[in-house]
Amino acid sequence: MNIPVIEAHALIKNFGTTRALAGVDLAIHRGESVAIMGASGSGKTTLLHVLAGITAPDAGSAVFRPAEGAAIEVTALGESARSRLRRERFGFVFQQGLLIPELTAVENVALASMINGVRRQDAVQHAASWLAALGLSGMEDRRIGELSGGQAQRVAIARAQATGAEVVFADEPTGALDSRTSAEVMDALLWSTTGQGRTLVVVTHDADVAARCTHTIAVRDGRILGSAVNA
Amino acid sequence: MNRTVLALLLRPAPGQNSVLVLPVVAFGIVTTLVLTVVGGAQAFWRWTDPEAALYQALAAIALVLLVVPLMSLGGAAARLSARRRDERLSTLRLLGVSPAGVTFATVAESVLVAGAGAIAGVLGHIALSPLIGLIPFRGEALGVGAVLLPPWGMLAVVGGVLVLAAASAVIGLRRVVISPLGVRTRTEPSKVHWIRAVIAVGAIAVSFALIKVFPAVAELFVTIIVVALLFAACLAVLNLMGPWVLKVSASRQLKRAETPERLLASRIVLDSPKAAWRQVGGIAMASFMAVFAGTGVALLDTLSGADLSAADLALADDIRTGLIITLIGSFLMVAASVGVNQASDVLDQRELHRSLHHLGVPLETVDRARRRAIMSPLLVTAIGSALVAAVLVFPLVGLALITAPVSVFTIALVVAVGIGVVWASTWATRPLLRGAFRTA
Repeated sequence: MNIPVIEAHALIKNFGTTRALAGVDLAIHRGESVAIMGASGSGKTTLLHVLAGITAPDAGSAVFRPAEGAAIEVTALGESARSRLRRERFGFVFQQGLLIPELTAVENVALASMINGVRRQDAVQHAASWLAALGLSGMEDRRIGELSGGQAQRVAIARAQATGAEVVFADEPTGALDSRTSAEVMDALLWSTTGQGRTLVVVTHDADVAARCTHTIAVRDGRILGSAVNA
Repeated sequence: MNRTVLALLLRPAPGQNSVLVLPVVAFGIVTTLVLTVVGGAQAFWRWTDPEAALYQALAAIALVLLVVPLMSLGGAAARLSARRRDERLSTLRLLGVSPAGVTFATVAESVLVAGAGAIAGVLGHIALSPLIGLIPFRGEALGVGAVLLPPWGMLAVVGGVLVLAAASAVIGLRRVVISPLGVRTRTEPSKVHWIRAVIAVGAIAVSFALIKVFPAVAELFVTIIVVALLFAACLAVLNLMGPWVLKVSASRQLKRAETPERLLASRIVLDSPKAAWRQVGGIAMASFMAVFAGTGVALLDTLSGADLSAADLALADDIRTGLIITLIGSFLMVAASVGVNQASDVLDQRELHRSLHHLGVPLETVDRARRRAIMSPLLVTAIGSALVAAVLVFPLVGLALITAPVSVFTIALVVAVGIGVVWASTWATRPLLRGAFRTA
């Protein structure tokens, strides 16, 4: 039986008097691409943050089962351990890319590995190979301001992959892009994650993006309304 | 724009108090320092005796020296104040508010923030004046009355601060008015040409020759004025050359960078060597002055032992006091400027810092990188400008710089204190960075 790579149970999270998560149960399996959909304020981004260990829930648990080694209860970890987990095991892609503007494309990708202790030369070499795989060959030394939105987003995808992340969390990764570029970015995101046997969790408003994923989860008022396997 | 909309715009957002308080504090520091510096200088302009002209000339030179770091601090305060508006005003433009309406709201907010800071600054000046009044010149304390600016003087300075804030707000807002989307993109790093170095070396060579020639052919008073003018010219040269030196230094560090901190720090400097220079340029000038001051102190010590009249000895003492006050003023302004600039940068990059936190990048990595991006250029400029000053001063006082322990001690102490003060300034903004890293 396929054991979930991420499993959540009875997650509750409040922000003041607002209940963002109201008892979420969830299982995501290795190699799946899961779209979390919902209106603004439905709790979908909070759910992603809790699963990724960015935010600690008020109650409930989230467990990450790596390919090798023991399961890790993300919600039981302290702040620094969760930071380390995110740095070493997870990858992130944000709506605006949020790359470091002073660094070049290849340096942005290599930085994550360097923080994990990889030598600069090796990190840069590895980063360059990811950029090339994502169609950015020859753009390694460009600064972020010199790239288009789609190109910058592919640099962000390469950054998410360069450390060998088993799970990539994407928060509205195509939210700032036109439909054609959005499709290209999704191609790159899916190829680099599920295409390599990794797992993708993506928060989106876009039905077209959700349709590209293997599963869709609908969220409203901090609860999961239902999930569906996409054709 | 009606009053209700304006009131809504000016209301601080929840949790954004630091974004509002910091510019007020920054404008407060600027106002206090301007009032105190001008107030101190006016004490000499009230004198009417024959020797007053020399004191007034020296006070004017000190004022000129303090203008550069003061302008840098004023600009930093204005930029910090502009940070919190951009996003909301871009939204207003998208909602159809006219460019004039956006400009009015911006200027109104800037002037209110600067006004609150300026009032605090006036109170700071009044509180500091008794202390400044204790400084002795011509054998007696200046007195509170001499250093406290009259009400019209205070009003003039406050007016100047408000104009600075309003002008800076209008200039900073042009892109929002021009384009509602107002997206800022940095496509390429600012360029700094090597020709700056050639001009600088040429200027230093000319200064060197003039300083060597003048003492032999002119009277003491003329020599002092010429040396002071050359000193000001050298500061201008430092400003010209500084960014280029920082660029070369950061490029070399980039090649050797093996840690994320070093990579980030060198790239931050290379992104805008001019901006890096604006942050530390004041310390370079203070360091440059420290060599002059240290040499001056050594020279005065030598003169004290010679057969000098009581008036000459008093003048020597007063010059030493003036030099020390100018140095202290410079360091205070630079420290404030670095703190304000750092606060601006942290606020400007808050979204990026939050995303780095999400990626699991340790706060320490970013904090060390930004401190290194300050301290590394600082060390380069402080040592570099001290060496330039030493080259200029060397022919004038010969080996006094090396042989007089007091001189060497003064130079080392002033530079060390300056570096320490700036280092402390970078730590002062760490809570702000930690706040940016905090999960939303």
